[in-house]
Amino acid sequence: MINNFDAIVIGSGHAGCEAALALARMGQQTLLLTLNLDSIAFLACNPSIGGTAKGHLVCEIDALGGEMGIIADKATIQRRMLNSSKGPAVQSLRTQTDKIMYHTEMKKVLENTKNLFVKQGEAKNIIVKNGKVQGVKTLQGDTFKAKAVVVCTGVYLKSDVIIGKVRTNSGPNGFAPANHLTASLKKLGLTIRRFKTGTPVRVHSDTIDYSELTEQCGEDDIQTFSFMTKTPPKNVIKCYLTYTNPHTHEIILNNLDKAPMYNGEIKSEGPRYCPSIESKIVRFSDKSQHQLFLEPEALSTKEVYVQGFSTSMPTYLQHEMVKSVKGLENAHIMRDAYAIEYDCIDSLQLYPTLQYKNIEGLYFAGQVNGTSGYEEAAAQGIIAGINAALFLQNKEPFVLKRNEAYIGVLIDDLTTKGTNEPYRMMTSRAEYRLQLRQDNADLRLTQKGYDIGLVSKERYKVFLKKIKQINEFKEQLKTVVSPKKIEKMFNEKSETVPKVGISIKDILKRSNITVEDLVECFPEFKKYPYNVLKEIEIDVKYEGYLAKQNIQIEQSKKQENTELPDDIDYKKIKGLRLEAQQKLNQIKPLTLGQASRISGVSPADITVLTVYLKTLVK
Amino acid sequence: MEEERTIAAISTPIGVGGISVIRLSGKNALKIANKVFNTTLKIEKIEPRKMYLGNFIAQSFKEKCMMVWFKAPNSYTGEDVVEFQCHGGTVIANGILETLIENGAVLAGPGEFTKQAFVNGKLTLDEAEGVMDMINAESESEVRAGYNLMQGSLSKEINNLQNELTKMIAKIEVTLDYPENDYEEQTASETIDGLQHIKEKLEHILKTSQTGQIVKNGSKILILGKPNVGKSSLLNAILNFERAIVTSIKGTTRDILEETYTYKGVKFVLTDTAGLHEANDVVEKIGIEKAKKAVNFADVILLVIDASEPLTQEDEEILELVKNKKTIVVKNKTDLKNVVNLNKYNFKHIVEISALNGQGVEDLKNLIYNLVIDENIINSNLMLTNMRHVEAIKKALKFLDECLKGLNAGITLDVVSIDLKNLWMALGEITGNNNNEEIINEIFSGFCVGK
Repeated sequence: MINNFDAIVIGSGHAGCEAALALARMGQQTLLLTLNLDSIAFLACNPSIGGTAKGHLVCEIDALGGEMGIIADKATIQRRMLNSSKGPAVQSLRTQTDKIMYHTEMKKVLENTKNLFVKQGEAKNIIVKNGKVQGVKTLQGDTFKAKAVVVCTGVYLKSDVIIGKVRTNSGPNGFAPANHLTASLKKLGLTIRRFKTGTPVRVHSDTIDYSELTEQCGEDDIQTFSFMTKTPPKNVIKCYLTYTNPHTHEIILNNLDKAPMYNGEIKSEGPRYCPSIESKIVRFSDKSQHQLFLEPEALSTKEVYVQGFSTSMPTYLQHEMVKSVKGLENAHIMRDAYAIEYDCIDSLQLYPTLQYKNIEGLYFAGQVNGTSGYEEAAAQGIIAGINAALFLQNKEPFVLKRNEAYIGVLIDDLTTKGTNEPYRMMTSRAEYRLQLRQDNADLRLTQKGYDIGLVSKERYKVFLKKIKQINEFKEQLKTVVSPKKIEKMFNEKSETVPKVGISIKDILKRSNITVEDLVECFPEFKKYPYNVLKEIEIDVKYEGYLAKQNIQIEQSKKQENTELPDDIDYKKIKGLRLEAQQKLNQIKPLTLGQASRISGVSPADITVLTVYLKTLVK
Repeated sequence: MEEERTIAAISTPIGVGGISVIRLSGKNALKIANKVFNTTLKIEKIEPRKMYLGNFIAQSFKEKCMMVWFKAPNSYTGEDVVEFQCHGGTVIANGILETLIENGAVLAGPGEFTKQAFVNGKLTLDEAEGVMDMINAESESEVRAGYNLMQGSLSKEINNLQNELTKMIAKIEVTLDYPENDYEEQTASETIDGLQHIKEKLEHILKTSQTGQIVKNGSKILILGKPNVGKSSLLNAILNFERAIVTSIKGTTRDILEETYTYKGVKFVLTDTAGLHEANDVVEKIGIEKAKKAVNFADVILLVIDASEPLTQEDEEILELVKNKKTIVVKNKTDLKNVVNLNKYNFKHIVEISALNGQGVEDLKNLIYNLVIDENIINSNLMLTNMRHVEAIKKALKFLDECLKGLNAGITLDVVSIDLKNLWMALGEITGNNNNEEIINEIFSGFCVGK
């Protein structure tokens, strides 16, 4: 057994898996330390991956050479494209995922990755000397040496599971908690906070009466998460929609004194976007019903997840509440709903590389940073892993900008604005969302992933082929065709037929003509795969808006590219206002652009900084 | 890019002094100047550090002024700098500045010329700290000035509009981020209606900004008329004191006489083109051309006519010139005879006075006031005088039109929201509220979303 590694990743959830894989694939000897090998890549809450903005994150992780997209595609049992009637920017893939398969497949990948060693054990201490990471001590008595450590402890730090009056020191789903690492983190100067989240009941499928519920089926001809998936997964299950009703609400309202969220038992911050059913009913009393989605957890089990029914009520009330819902009158609850409280850190203490500002080589990723969601965790995991590897290789850090990726938005928000509740990604958070689409994640990121050594040759080849085809098609857009050739199509689509020749591009510009129509009319384009056609269509149809956003991106570039040395003492810059001095010293932004987004830093302060930077040069 | 933009500002103290200097600095300074300044020379022929006389073509007037170009790096800021020297007073200087901004310049930020000077190595290191201090000091005084302006109903009004917009955007965004929740979708036509409402309000506020300028800088009133119709006595009657106008002009080189008076708290600048004509006795030569230029400067024109005689050819020429302007026809000498006939001109405002005995002068002053000042606006405090605010609202209106254009072309709301957010940010420049988190807060507080 070797005890010397380049890097150690603590925790094997979605952040930990991506971090460990990135490190190992970039050539670093990596130890993945986990509380329990059976909880690797466990989908502790809903059996689903993707959704608005989250689907984008998965595609980006994939484009960088991550694993989540590939395994999510493999474990998909139903998939749909959300917002398909809307513009291309907000279309998001959401899949039902077989959670058992997801775990098994990810474990398999980890076990078969070169340079990666997976081991069960609980990290107790992070060893630090002279501001540099040295390794990790485990509760079991092992000492592992490494120059980089990535902490991905998820919701396991000193976690408590709460059901009614019963508070148990436990991780999610009955897994053991990690009770020792918090003290070590505190010692290293990290601010420890307490967040809360929750999960709904799981019921036995055979005890649900589906006869009067609305079916939700999957869709077939849509994009997959991974740009490497050749055969799209099939839709093999159905989900169902039911609702709460006034009776359900009455049960809850009559028993609010027993709800830990309302009787003072839970004081920590829960997410506003993922409220328990009791807070939905209290806060939105005008709504007479709330949607509940019934989602199978895996093909090999009868457990069904009741989405929308998150609660921490006592079990007997959970039973009453479930019984009151149409279709669930006789439902047998297999797992109770619960709330979980856990320790996390303040993400403002991290650089955009996700390294802790005070200790070289110590990185944090995932829910321990105060986020929520598998996808958000995995996105941070891959970035922390990449940066830890680059640090070990003595190379420039890897930071994605807000105009380059949702991952960039996520990490910039976390390290610039911070968060006071578990942070969820949303398309509304991305100011350049028309540029940041699922379909072009590879065009945005795969070259970068290749340059840092994470993207495989195989993936890079696929990427280059797509680029080549896009460029080839773009050339053909200029071709002018005679009105005769398109007359039939234009008439069918009620577009006015032009009198003179028209270019392919202008044909595609017409609002009623889709790229599919174009291919129908010009069979020579049939050779291009769907994703190439789509790319061109979006480029042409949204040309004006894309250009507009590109101008804004250009305008911000100068600030985004102006680096701020990390040893500036902002207190010494006289022209800055006091609040700006304090905030800048706390956050230590890496660029002028990041500084400009800190609340409390005014445009005038940024001007002062510009002048200050010039004095440094002189 | 911040340092590649071309900035502009009025460099002389506002409202004081005989001339004003407006300065442009940046890569495009000469290009912008060329768009608005007419001189006999072609732009390629213009040499640095030489004064050129020409016409500055502003939106509402033409001004004869001087232009000088300092070629980079031999200028104050180290960039290309163009300076215009025009007549003093705020109306012309503001008009020139506004025109430069419309043609691609950006209103200079606090201390920005000096900042650029430093950045380009025009100031020594020792001076850097002074520059840094100045930036925030100037910014704060501007913010304070803006804050004072924003007190009261204008601030409320713009806040309300931004809030309306926040709600609208949140309603769109919630259905994008939570498509599986059963919320009613915001429709395009709803959005158009909401935007139209905001547009009307913004346009109204912008209109009041012009009133605000008038209150601050005074309103220009021009007295026109052929010789000997009683312009001088009218001027005296309005100013309420005896003054030998001809004497005051003799020997001066000014071609326009200005006098100011205050009525109901508003400053009026009375301009009499007559003095010069009569004193030099070159009416025929200067004639209609001279009048034309003056007419464009004025907020209100007082056209004086001798009521005791029929219209002459010269009267008719002048009447023709002003018939589409905000004009009050003043029939003077009504104490003698009233024979003149103006029926064919359709003037809305005709007053009869006798400058000699002061009859009708008070009514005339009141009418001028009413034509210039919308009292509703003054009383509701809905005034916008800060140039930066005016710019922000103009920018907001531009984005608003882009939204409407997109919506009318059938672009989906998720894409139109790019411009909606730009509009929201433009209003945020005034309200100080430009944190995207506000919209996300609205989503969570207004809608029950999530699993």
